[in-house]
Amino acid sequence: MDAAPLLEVRDLKKHFPLERRPWGARRFVYAVDGISFTLGHGQTLGVVGESGCGKSTAAKAIMRLIEPTAGRVLLDGEDITAIPRTRFRPYRKRMQIVFQDPYASLNPRMSAGDIVGEALRNFGVGAEQRRARVEWLFDRVGLHRDAMRKYAHEFSGGQRQRLGIARALALEPALIVCDEPVSALDVSIQAQIINLLIDLQRELGVAYIFVAHDLAVVQHISDRVAVMYLGRFVEVGEGDRLFAEPLHPYTRALLSAVPQTRGSGAPPRTLLEGDVPSPVSPPSGCHFHPRCAQATERCRQQAPELRDVGGGYRVACWLHAG
Amino acid sequence: MNDASTPGPAPDPIVEIDDLKVWFASRDGITRAVNGVSFELQRGETLGLVGESGCGKSVTAMTMLQLIPSPPSVIAGGSVRYNGANLLEYDEDRMRRIRGNEISMIFQDPMTSLNPVLTVGEQIAETAVLHRRLGRREARELAVEMLHKVNIPEPRRRAGEYPHQFSGGMRQRAMIAAALVCDPKVLIADEPTTALDVTIQAQIIELMLGLKREFGTSILLITHDLGVVAETCARVVVMYAGRKVEEARTADLFNAPLHPYTQGLLAATPRLSTAPGTRRADRPRLHEIPGMVPTLKGEQKGCSFAPRCPRASARCGEQAPQLQAHGDGHVVACWNVGSA
Repeated sequence: MDAAPLLEVRDLKKHFPLERRPWGARRFVYAVDGISFTLGHGQTLGVVGESGCGKSTAAKAIMRLIEPTAGRVLLDGEDITAIPRTRFRPYRKRMQIVFQDPYASLNPRMSAGDIVGEALRNFGVGAEQRRARVEWLFDRVGLHRDAMRKYAHEFSGGQRQRLGIARALALEPALIVCDEPVSALDVSIQAQIINLLIDLQRELGVAYIFVAHDLAVVQHISDRVAVMYLGRFVEVGEGDRLFAEPLHPYTRALLSAVPQTRGSGAPPRTLLEGDVPSPVSPPSGCHFHPRCAQATERCRQQAPELRDVGGGYRVACWLHAG
Repeated sequence: MNDASTPGPAPDPIVEIDDLKVWFASRDGITRAVNGVSFELQRGETLGLVGESGCGKSVTAMTMLQLIPSPPSVIAGGSVRYNGANLLEYDEDRMRRIRGNEISMIFQDPMTSLNPVLTVGEQIAETAVLHRRLGRREARELAVEMLHKVNIPEPRRRAGEYPHQFSGGMRQRAMIAAALVCDPKVLIADEPTTALDVTIQAQIIELMLGLKREFGTSILLITHDLGVVAETCARVVVMYAGRKVEEARTADLFNAPLHPYTQGLLAATPRLSTAPGTRRADRPRLHEIPGMVPTLKGEQKGCSFAPRCPRASARCGEQAPQLQAHGDGHVVACWNVGSA
């Protein structure tokens, strides 16, 4: 790892308060419950997990699109969680986000050119320069320059996602958080967008946090991968190692659940029982223990920390604690 | 669990779809959503129907049960035969006796297809009351039994709950219970696991295959997920822009796809690799299918995949290719198969 990583996240938490009942204690949704990682310049961290595991909340809390409850986010060594809202704008420039639903995240009343150029205008870029930059961005993401005059509804899903990417790139950010950017797209279009993201990274050196539930897509695009379960990372490491030799029982179950087009080499399936428990009252100890076939008394009582098992590869499981 | 290697011995179709054409009329023209589709569902088999958004796979399935209002839809031709009788000629009364009784359907989003103001138990029982003329109490017992069969814990208590009290996976189980309560001969499953997480998807697939073995139901599985098809179906029909472009046994389709669209689709799908040493830098680029799915408005000339096809020739733009057999049970609609 480099001396100064682009991004360092330390014990980030986001707890949403639930409506108080007339009697009884205040309750919280423990959406993100203490995650830590670093991300180098030009690198991609994939974050995988099932619905409700907190991956999207984590992505937004890192960017302060929602305020974290606790923890630190360091961008180029500077703690951005300590900066007052009023002085936060310059930091927005350095990190951008691409959302899952490109339709809901594009203003229907603005032309495509204005959508991409809006951020530039906000940061005081003149009309002339802005136009040149927007044209460059349109070229770069594979949209026709004529499309600058069109409105969001005139684009197909894939084109809208290109537009979202162009907008995210406008201010030359060092980091783009991609929150399920291809899950609403058909396979053939998904491939176009994934290739585009990879090309842009090679060319511009932008780093990605790539949040997705599709493991094959995450494997394809990520250098390192974090597996999230009920608000916590259970395993973080180099993608090739994580997919080949997963250590955490949850990661193993998750990987074995993926339907394979080439069946023969796949390991036997470990079917998980039941559903993900509620993040309002997560299980004691290791959050995964009620669904884990190898759980022991210790797992029920004490939450395992993410521990380095060699080479910066980290797992939170008592089976791999010694 | 993988029964992909057991194609049925002699053809014994329970459903035969022949040259089905479903059009939608609107002010700006006719959309040919399904444009001459034919296939057979054999007794006891699981057939996959795959394709991307807008290829006509769901319209085909919904038409089988006359679930699309007309207008705007027009059945412009073809037939859907169930045990030899053309369902498209049935009136609403006779159709009702088919739906949920002979042919059942489950949908992608169980929340919108379950009634929010009825308990789950009542909804499952309703079908049995209607078709089996069971008494309320009997039907209720049957509902509890079905919930038990689809592995819902504490089925008796759960039967008295409402859909919003169920998780996504449990709702899909409840839907399956409701669909199978009258022991239908055919189950149409339209993207049954698309809204679910992979671990829950694995549970539902396992459940469907288990029930199929138990009841001998024939399943038409509509999905865009090739992995799901590979794990569950003996045969696959691939649709593109309202037409069937390829049909084959699952293994043949994955090992030797013939249509350029099928080839492109397979190459564009990232595959989970569990082999060690596949560094990210060494990973090949994903294959892209350039352009996008064409609009289905107006008359189509030639092969509808031609504008995106790497092998398209002048002929492809002029004349639509007919389906041709290439080996045992493998048919493809492409002018250039064999020439590449």
